[in-house]
Amino acid sequence: MTIFKTFLKILNKNKGIVILYSIILIFFAGFNLQTNDNTMQFEKEKPSIFIINHDPENTFTKEFVTYLKNNSEVVELEETKEAISDALFYRSVNTIIIIPESFGENFRNQKNPEIEIKCTGTYESELTKMMIARYFNVAKVFFSISSTEENFDKIKEIVEKEMKIEMTSKLNTQELKRVANYYNFANYSILAGCVYVICLILSSFKKENIKKRTIISSINEKNYNRILLIANSLFAMLLWFFYCFISFFLIGDIMFTKQGVGCMINSFVFTFCAVTISFFISNVLTNKNAINGVVNVLALGSSFLCGAFVPTELLPESVQKIAHFFPSYYFINNNEKITSLENWSLTNLTPILTNLMILLGFSFIFILFNNFLSKKRRKSS
Amino acid sequence: MINMFFHNLKYTFKIIFKSKSLIFWTFAFPIILGTMFSFAFSDIEKKEQFEIIDIAVVNNPLKENEIWNTFLKELSKENENQILNIQYTDLKQATEWLEQEKISGILNLDSEEVLIVKKNGINETILKFAMEEMKQTETLLKTIIESPEEKQMLFQQNRNKLFENIEKIRQETTNSIKDISTNNMSYTMIEYYTLIAMTCLYGGLLGMIALQKDLANMGSVGKRSSISPTTKKTMILSSMVASYIIQIIGISLLFFYTIFILQVDYGNHFFLVILLTIIGCLTGLALGIFLASALKASENTKTGILLAVTMFGCFLSGMMGITMKYVVDKNIPFLNQINPANLITDGFYALYYYDTTERFYKNVVSLILITILLIGTSIIFLRRQTYDNL
Amino acid sequence: MKKIIEIEHLTKEYKEKKAIDDLSFNVYEGEILGLLGPNGSGKSTTINCILSLLNFQKGSIQIFGQEMTPSSYEIKKEIGVVFQEVAVFEELTVYENIDYFCGLYIKNKEQRKQLIEDAIQLVGLEQYKKFYPKQLSGGLLRRLNIACGIAHKPKLIFFDEPTVAVDPQSRNNILSGIETLRKNGATIIYTTHYMEEVEIICDRVMILDHGKIIASGTISELKKLTQIEEKVTVEILGLLEKEINKMKELQNVIDVNYQNGLLIITYKKGENNLPKLMEYFKKNKINYQKIYSERPTLNDVFLELTGKELRD
Repeated sequence: MTIFKTFLKILNKNKGIVILYSIILIFFAGFNLQTNDNTMQFEKEKPSIFIINHDPENTFTKEFVTYLKNNSEVVELEETKEAISDALFYRSVNTIIIIPESFGENFRNQKNPEIEIKCTGTYESELTKMMIARYFNVAKVFFSISSTEENFDKIKEIVEKEMKIEMTSKLNTQELKRVANYYNFANYSILAGCVYVICLILSSFKKENIKKRTIISSINEKNYNRILLIANSLFAMLLWFFYCFISFFLIGDIMFTKQGVGCMINSFVFTFCAVTISFFISNVLTNKNAINGVVNVLALGSSFLCGAFVPTELLPESVQKIAHFFPSYYFINNNEKITSLENWSLTNLTPILTNLMILLGFSFIFILFNNFLSKKRRKSS
Repeated sequence: MINMFFHNLKYTFKIIFKSKSLIFWTFAFPIILGTMFSFAFSDIEKKEQFEIIDIAVVNNPLKENEIWNTFLKELSKENENQILNIQYTDLKQATEWLEQEKISGILNLDSEEVLIVKKNGINETILKFAMEEMKQTETLLKTIIESPEEKQMLFQQNRNKLFENIEKIRQETTNSIKDISTNNMSYTMIEYYTLIAMTCLYGGLLGMIALQKDLANMGSVGKRSSISPTTKKTMILSSMVASYIIQIIGISLLFFYTIFILQVDYGNHFFLVILLTIIGCLTGLALGIFLASALKASENTKTGILLAVTMFGCFLSGMMGITMKYVVDKNIPFLNQINPANLITDGFYALYYYDTTERFYKNVVSLILITILLIGTSIIFLRRQTYDNL
Repeated sequence: MKKIIEIEHLTKEYKEKKAIDDLSFNVYEGEILGLLGPNGSGKSTTINCILSLLNFQKGSIQIFGQEMTPSSYEIKKEIGVVFQEVAVFEELTVYENIDYFCGLYIKNKEQRKQLIEDAIQLVGLEQYKKFYPKQLSGGLLRRLNIACGIAHKPKLIFFDEPTVAVDPQSRNNILSGIETLRKNGATIIYTTHYMEEVEIICDRVMILDHGKIIASGTISELKKLTQIEEKVTVEILGLLEKEINKMKELQNVIDVNYQNGLLIITYKKGENNLPKLMEYFKKNKINYQKIYSERPTLNDVFLELTGKELRD
């Protein structure tokens, strides 16, 4: 009990920095969530474009512009260089399409006129390019055969054909993606929070003369370590609880689904793993000033390498392989798996459970390391 | 006076270079982070382009649906333009695969072509586009074949030839869309820009520590310096010059590392890049001076504050995802106009992205204003020679 | 005698209390002035005011006959301070630390080198020149602290409790160093908790309490201030209350105190107090093991003046 009380006192002493850190981290997560737009969905609104038309009278050009208007959102813009640059910069428009003079005429006469575009290079602008190309392809085929006005209707009919799509998943993917993003970010928030705070507190307990004092005291060392572990775990759980709590507000009802609960359980296991990592680091680290550095390198590093900030599928293969050495990888991988899991059968759950086991395995290894290190330390001091 | 200036300069160098945590934050940490960026983002632009997508085709009456077949064959040909990897199977097997995410979609060619996907995603979107293209081309072919005037003409060609023609046209089309965008911002570039911004501001740590040692109200060493006959002005000035020089050394190292080892391209306006960096460092220094002189707290707390403020600034300017920057710029523009990390990032961005340098200089001016404001405020605190409390 | 420091009506108030209350005193050339006082009595505040580190509400401070201001660089050149807390750079070695602070006073490199060597010798750190502060024990660190303060051979030196928590060897080293400095012509102001030190090295002592001088003078002058003239200590077992009360009636006795087998009797001025007491014991058949008489110490003076033990 004494140890526990002391723990609380030290925590209380450091409450300023602990609260600051927690708030910043959770704020990061929340803010990050609000801004993370998923550009990778086809049900999203149409790409936004702006058309500079130097050939407004031509009938073909008119047809083409109508096609563009039907398939995208045309934005109102001033036709100045600055306004266009700004619009592209802030992505209020994805693609600027510049139709040159006598474009329609030349096109009909198969002179292959060029149209110029300026784009943001994002996914939407790629889609816009494909959209334009598609129209040109069809139109060219017809014009290579004849250049009659009838073509327009035919072209129109063809380019507006859509593929029928069925989606098997009844999951609210968009919302679930948000859940995954929020909990992926936990890799940074929870890891940084746990490691920083726990190392800070343990460094007080491990000051040379205090350590000597506890070694010579009557308390059993294993017991002592266990109490410290429990006390710190309690703190970490509080952090976890708070993080989950906030997610209800930020993400909403979907947190009450199986997937939401799954993510919470997953992050719970990860938090435990983070606690053991923190213990390990505080065991290895003797210098209090180094805590800040290690926290940043570890939390940011694993987040970048394991896909907490950038979708995993965008990471190079070699990095993904390296990521397997970090617990974060399994945590993040699990978030993705859980949020796309529809049929909760045992076979489908197996990979998720495997990941959880791996996380626990990591924790176990860190605990073993800790015991080994503190035993070695004890003898040498 | 000159003597004392160099004496303090020399020792400020020594003290800073001997301080492991300072060197870590201003020299090592940016390089470590940069390396991680290059790991994480090295493939990202390539990956954003298409990758081969696994799909299953079911209910494919091979002979009846010749056009689709030809297309599918074309798209799954093993060359650099390969988009699909196709497996022909039955619906039951395919549905199982889809569930396990072994494939991204099922093309059901039963009566009407249907694409079955599991979820919304990049692959699914590409798939939808590719399938749509096929469907349209199919209709195109049918229309051409069915139109009476053209019929005769087409009879002279076999179907394969027709397909080739359409392919040819497609090639031409690609050429007729000319992309004249100025450099497109890549994820990676913005990361490196925020990294430089971060390093500039972390450099403030150096100024902060160097200044602490000259101020009587910030510690015992400061008291000792204050009672010496060396004027406060000389002390502060030489400490600041020393930390600024070290800052510049640190950022040069980062530039060397990113340019030569990580192969980052900072664009053509190299002089302006340097100018912005130099001013950015100055802002960092000013931030350090401000914290050192205006705030009475332990060195650790101040370090923590500077690190947190910088990290937060970098977060707002897009270090953990560029969308952040857009959203803040759009909705709370004021926040990013006073955020030095963003001003630096935005300056680089503007150089790279805009045809004009107007936006760049706007950032530079804002940075200078913030620097002046910070230093000006600090001077009020620094002018004080005697204190109410020590 | 030449006045080195002249302080008149110095008053320094913090928000809640007066730290220095209308303080006036002089420091003369070549003397070692001891500033004594319990914690919070205003010793360090006084020194910080003299050094122009702290501002004050009233009064004037003159050093070497000139008014002391934050920009009195000519005066500052001749002052050395050894602060209570150790003020050195962790990142610099012993030699570098001394060189840094000395370099703020002395431009000439050759001259400085000699001065540093002298300082190192004075505090006895010859073997530790290349050591970093972290590697030094508490006592050695204090010596380094001193060397940093006095390397430029100032004419006026302030020592603010330089021997707190220092081992006896280092303490002796420090005290003899201060003696040497004075021999070389420095005027020294010395604050401390330790009465013995003041008695050993100070020429003159000022006792401060609540920011006021409650007594000042040479050590013997101070001792005269108290009524106590002689203190007799007797080791004695099983003394009864009755007998103690009886002794209080004896001639010249101020007070009798008996604790843990130690009897302390304080006397006013008088003759043959000790023989008379021994006579008394013999007569009353009281057996004692040891008996000795002392002149009162500063501690006794202090105790009587402030009602506090100095060392708390």
